[in-house]
Amino acid sequence: MTVWDIPSKKSASIQSLCTSMHSDVAIRLQEMGFEEGQLITCIKRTAFNGPTVIQLGDCIYSLEQSVANHVNVNPI
Amino acid sequence: MQKILLVGKPNSGKSLLFNQLTGLRQKVANFPGVTVELKSGIFNAHLDNGVDGKQQQKFELIDYPGTYSLKSLSKDESIAIEQLLNAMSDEKTSVILCNLDATRMERSLVFALQVQEIAKQHNKTVIFTLNMVDELLRFNHKIDTDKLSEKLGSPVYAVSAKTLIGISELQKGLGEIAISPETYRVKPTETNQQASGIAAKSLAKEFAIQSDVVLKRQNAIDRLLLNSVFGGFAFLLIMFFLFQSIFTWAAPLMDATEDAIGFIAGIVSGFLGEGILNDFMTDAIFGGLGSFLVFVPQIMILTLIIGLLEDSGYLARAALICHRPLSFFGLSGRSFIPYLSGHACAIPAILAARTIESPRKRFVTMLTVPLMSCSARLPVYALLIAVLVPDTTYLGGWVNLQGAMFFVLYSFGILTALIVSGVLNKVTEGSKELQDMPFILELPSYRLPHWQPLFYRIINSGVQFIKRAAPIIFVVSLIIWTLGYFPNNGDLQNSYLSAIGQWIEPIFTPLGVDWRYGVAILVSFLAREVFVGVLGTMFSIENADENIAGLAENLQADGLSLASGVALLAFYVIALQCVATVAMLKSELGKNRYAWGAFIAYGLLAYLVSMSFYAVLS
Repeated sequence: MTVWDIPSKKSASIQSLCTSMHSDVAIRLQEMGFEEGQLITCIKRTAFNGPTVIQLGDCIYSLEQSVANHVNVNPI
Repeated sequence: MQKILLVGKPNSGKSLLFNQLTGLRQKVANFPGVTVELKSGIFNAHLDNGVDGKQQQKFELIDYPGTYSLKSLSKDESIAIEQLLNAMSDEKTSVILCNLDATRMERSLVFALQVQEIAKQHNKTVIFTLNMVDELLRFNHKIDTDKLSEKLGSPVYAVSAKTLIGISELQKGLGEIAISPETYRVKPTETNQQASGIAAKSLAKEFAIQSDVVLKRQNAIDRLLLNSVFGGFAFLLIMFFLFQSIFTWAAPLMDATEDAIGFIAGIVSGFLGEGILNDFMTDAIFGGLGSFLVFVPQIMILTLIIGLLEDSGYLARAALICHRPLSFFGLSGRSFIPYLSGHACAIPAILAARTIESPRKRFVTMLTVPLMSCSARLPVYALLIAVLVPDTTYLGGWVNLQGAMFFVLYSFGILTALIVSGVLNKVTEGSKELQDMPFILELPSYRLPHWQPLFYRIINSGVQFIKRAAPIIFVVSLIIWTLGYFPNNGDLQNSYLSAIGQWIEPIFTPLGVDWRYGVAILVSFLAREVFVGVLGTMFSIENADENIAGLAENLQADGLSLASGVALLAFYVIALQCVATVAMLKSELGKNRYAWGAFIAYGLLAYLVSMSFYAVLS
């Protein structure tokens, strides 16, 4: 399961970042707090497969499918 | 002069803090990436040493673009980081002022600890500001800055650059520290020797407000404004309101300006009596320059609406809503922000495109921003709409037909930009130089606008518009008037200008306009606004007894046809008639061929589209 699969208003914990992800993007995500064990909540799924809106710690981020699909999570 | 470096995460209120410390009026807004260039100002440090009175010293305060980390992803960040690292090694750097968002402490602290680590390596002093504490006070949350300072090993100040909480204490403290920074070097503590992520998490747990408390309201609004149906509808409504307001709200102010110009012209004319000087003043100055000044209120209203959207935090949501539709044309949701800013002026909009991580999408956005209907096009649109479209209102005055026409023209510009983007995207596909990067965006909190900077910004937009265009319009009006007045003292049809105009007339015949419009179009390649000033001068020479500022009435009386008017509008929507924009494209894209290529391509496209409209409508 990835961040893209988290339904609206549901939470999951981050398992890992896919190794196939571009290294610059992976570093940026880590600095934004995408680390193993962090709780992530989907605030809103947007229409037409638009970016998903998630809460991570004290920040709200929006990620498009190509990134969200590369963050593995464990359902809670 | 010794330097203080101001750094922080994007959207942490850095620009507003910079303004409060320097007394300058740099643009502030509530979305990531407002500062894309280094800005500097003077900070006056005062120190009461108790012996021989007060000591004063000036420091250069430099505001760096916000960055999430010291590893860059976007172009604006890479510039900021490179320059920041260079400045750290500079012996003139006295202090690093690291600004943190008090409402989002955990992520701010990761960056803060990274900065502190590098400052330690360069033997520099760091001060932390916890900005936006007014937001925390609404929830009765107070941060123990002494304890946090002890843990970080550097001074910490709790401030609100918006409500001025703690600003005088910061000014005093920053002054003392900047004058003798060696006393305040980073002290090694248990916290600042841990990995930044772990230390930030533990500090946030101890000092930060619970995120759910702050984000509860924001998330509720987001569920509504990002709703699949309501969100899209609200977005379209806001955009329609934006373009309506430019016409509806500005109308009384424009009428007042027009009356004032007419009134002054009447007095001056009466004072001068008949003669060549009177003709020059009424035709070139009041007819040419005056016709252009009438549109200043519209520029200011456009700035107000864009400013309100920026300050509220809605722009980031709009970028998110637009991401998917824009991606069909090879753009990013982040392209929305330069596109919207481009409706005020293309130059800052091209700079704003630096925040787009993907080099390819950044390239395509920069090249298509000039198709957004900037404020320089506004006088041309307003004039031609007033000639062609009746001033009819619906729904109790809320919807104006002329305003709706504005919306159509702006939409036409956006549609053209999207089509050109799609083509450019196809052409650049597979380019190794322009690789693709994904869309990642932090959504800022919703906030009420900060009125003082917004007010200055509105005034500044009007002043800059006049300062930029008035000298060109004055010189062009002077030349056009001289060529149009002589050799037969005001007989335009038998003037030097007419002779030149009739020579170039065949170029503009396919657009359905005569030599007078042809001259105005050619001269407006210097700057679009010149079109109105030149027509104003020519029609004033021809209709010496008519209302001086009422150029629209003069054009109507002259019989400008609907087909010709639409062709002219289409030409001005597409053509890149701005030397400054071409220079900015060259500077940002690094190659002359892109900038001048865009100039020529948009000129040709404008001519062909305009010609097609005339052919169909006539």
